[in-house]
Amino acid sequence: MTLLETPTPSREAAPRHRPGAGLAAGLVLLLGVLLVVCFFSITLGSRGVGVPTIWKAFTDFDPGSASETVIREMRVPRTLIGVLAGAALGLSGTILQGVTRNPLADPGIMGINAGAAAFIVFGIMILGVQGVIGYVWLAFAGAGTATVVVYGVASFGREGATPVKLALAGAAVTAVLSSLTSAIVMTNVDALNELRFWQVGSLAGRYMPVLWQTAPFILVGLVIAMLTGRALNGLALGEDLALALGQRLRLTRFVMFATVAVLCGAATAACGPIVFVGLVVPHLARFICGPDYRWILPYALVLTPIVLLVADIVGRVAVSPGELQVGVVLGVFGAPAFIALVRYRNLAEL
Amino acid sequence: MSYVRRAAGGAIAALLAATALAGCGTSASSDDGAKGSGPWSFVSGNGKTVKLDQTPKRIIASGAEAAALISFGIKPVGIYASTTIKDDPNLKGLDLSGITILGETWGEIDVEKAAALKPDLIVADWWPAEKAYSGLESGVKASSKKLADLAPIVGVAQGDSIEALAQGYEKLAASLGADVDDPKIAADKKAFETAKAAFKKAVAAKPGLSVLAVSPSDDVLYVANPKYAPELLDFQRWGLDVINPDKPDKGFPYWENLSWENADKYQPDLLLIDDRAYASTLKQGEKQPTWNNIKAANAKAYAPWPAYWMHTYGEYAEQLTQLTAAITKADDTRA
Repeated sequence: MTLLETPTPSREAAPRHRPGAGLAAGLVLLLGVLLVVCFFSITLGSRGVGVPTIWKAFTDFDPGSASETVIREMRVPRTLIGVLAGAALGLSGTILQGVTRNPLADPGIMGINAGAAAFIVFGIMILGVQGVIGYVWLAFAGAGTATVVVYGVASFGREGATPVKLALAGAAVTAVLSSLTSAIVMTNVDALNELRFWQVGSLAGRYMPVLWQTAPFILVGLVIAMLTGRALNGLALGEDLALALGQRLRLTRFVMFATVAVLCGAATAACGPIVFVGLVVPHLARFICGPDYRWILPYALVLTPIVLLVADIVGRVAVSPGELQVGVVLGVFGAPAFIALVRYRNLAEL
Repeated sequence: MSYVRRAAGGAIAALLAATALAGCGTSASSDDGAKGSGPWSFVSGNGKTVKLDQTPKRIIASGAEAAALISFGIKPVGIYASTTIKDDPNLKGLDLSGITILGETWGEIDVEKAAALKPDLIVADWWPAEKAYSGLESGVKASSKKLADLAPIVGVAQGDSIEALAQGYEKLAASLGADVDDPKIAADKKAFETAKAAFKKAVAAKPGLSVLAVSPSDDVLYVANPKYAPELLDFQRWGLDVINPDKPDKGFPYWENLSWENADKYQPDLLLIDDRAYASTLKQGEKQPTWNNIKAANAKAYAPWPAYWMHTYGEYAEQLTQLTAAITKADDTRA
């Protein structure tokens, strides 16, 4: 009798440990946090605007009202650019670290920021380009070109673009492009004045035109990036195993680098070189999710905009009525955060 | 933000540097300076008297001050400008042959070149709010400030009126041996009086017209504080309602700094735009979403503001005539 009362030990019925459920709940929670952060990003600023006015700005917009203009034309684009650029930087950092299996990989190492800056300077000097719209395309083209060059240089030789060769090629290309940029900037005051817009990442002063110019690239890049989880998992096992699992390594790497170039180029064009989030947040996501890129990617997608927007809000509030650029805030908080991560977790695990 | 940005801001600020405690007045007293080559003296803008055994002949001057001296026929041996010569509102178009250019960027003066010119006098405006001469303000490179060691410096104070500033430079030129009774100079003065009368008349015809002087930048809308802008004080004296900002920056009182979110704080009928780089300055404003929430901007009621650079009656006559036309055209919606 007692036997009947004992539950049958069945594999199916046993409560399996399912990390997915907890992670999914965590992701939903983070989405909620992101929404809250967006709300504050729209309500806080150097001008006090009440919630009813904010509501009216969306439901019954009056372009003659300065408060409504501030909400719709300044804070909303700033917030949306923050979300998009944050997501783009987070995912490109995740992919770069995964594909190069280099825990310190970020857009800086790949020469992407240097490429964007160099193209902007060339554009001002040689093509006489002026205005944000022109710079957006130049920065984008520069980021793409730098990525192609770095990947091309690293691909020479039998094994193709290995992590070590990529890091070396990235450092070399960064050095070349930065010295060219400096040489031009030192001799041309106009170029220097225009470039300062891109020297520290900022979400201020970026309005709707910048959003429209960069959003399509970022959205397409984000969709492709979210689909790379399986391939990244394969690469994480090492090249030989990935090959054995049937991955076409060259094609995989090419698609991933192209995606990173689009994401980083567009994000840099939108708000300038923003450091640390692309490097740190993927580690944070990995810390929460473990090694499965199919979870790391969505976590990075949501976590990075949260970090970026919080830093932006801190910058707005900290030195009111002035503002600190988000790039500066991230530098200040990002460095200790990164050191903490390194101390608590063995980065060589990648 | 980055070093570069602050430096640029400082340069703008300093460029924008205009000054003068109201009521401080200019200081060229009536009896300074004897003509000829004998002992020479001049009461400078800071109130100190500079005395020399000989009337100075080899003069280095800051850009606008140099233009003023040239208008009286006195040619400096060297000029340091705060922007490129072709963009300088005072220097562009002048015959500068034989004059050594010692700098074309604010805060940078080639002192080695200046020393080679063996100057016996340096002429630069005195800015009471900064307690410094043009080219020697805080923010200028230390190496450039060594200019002050080469020769004594004199200049007229950027006081409460451009008229007084023009008179001061006329006195200085006379002491240096210029013929200030030249018919050209008399004609300029007459043109100025005519332009001033026309300006007053146009202002009187628009009693409700309010005006705001601004310098838009990427980050901030700078609103001019008339208290430290002699030409704006002149306009107020002549009846024009130039708005006084209520919270000028404490450290640099030439401006109230408005974030673009608060750009609509003042609602003038006419905007005077800093004309030291008129087109690009205006463009900085026009790309801001809140620009059109300023009534005058929405109506495209703009006029150039000759910001902090005028030193002569001739220039003033020209600028006043331009401004009179803009005032006549503007709608005074409050009337």
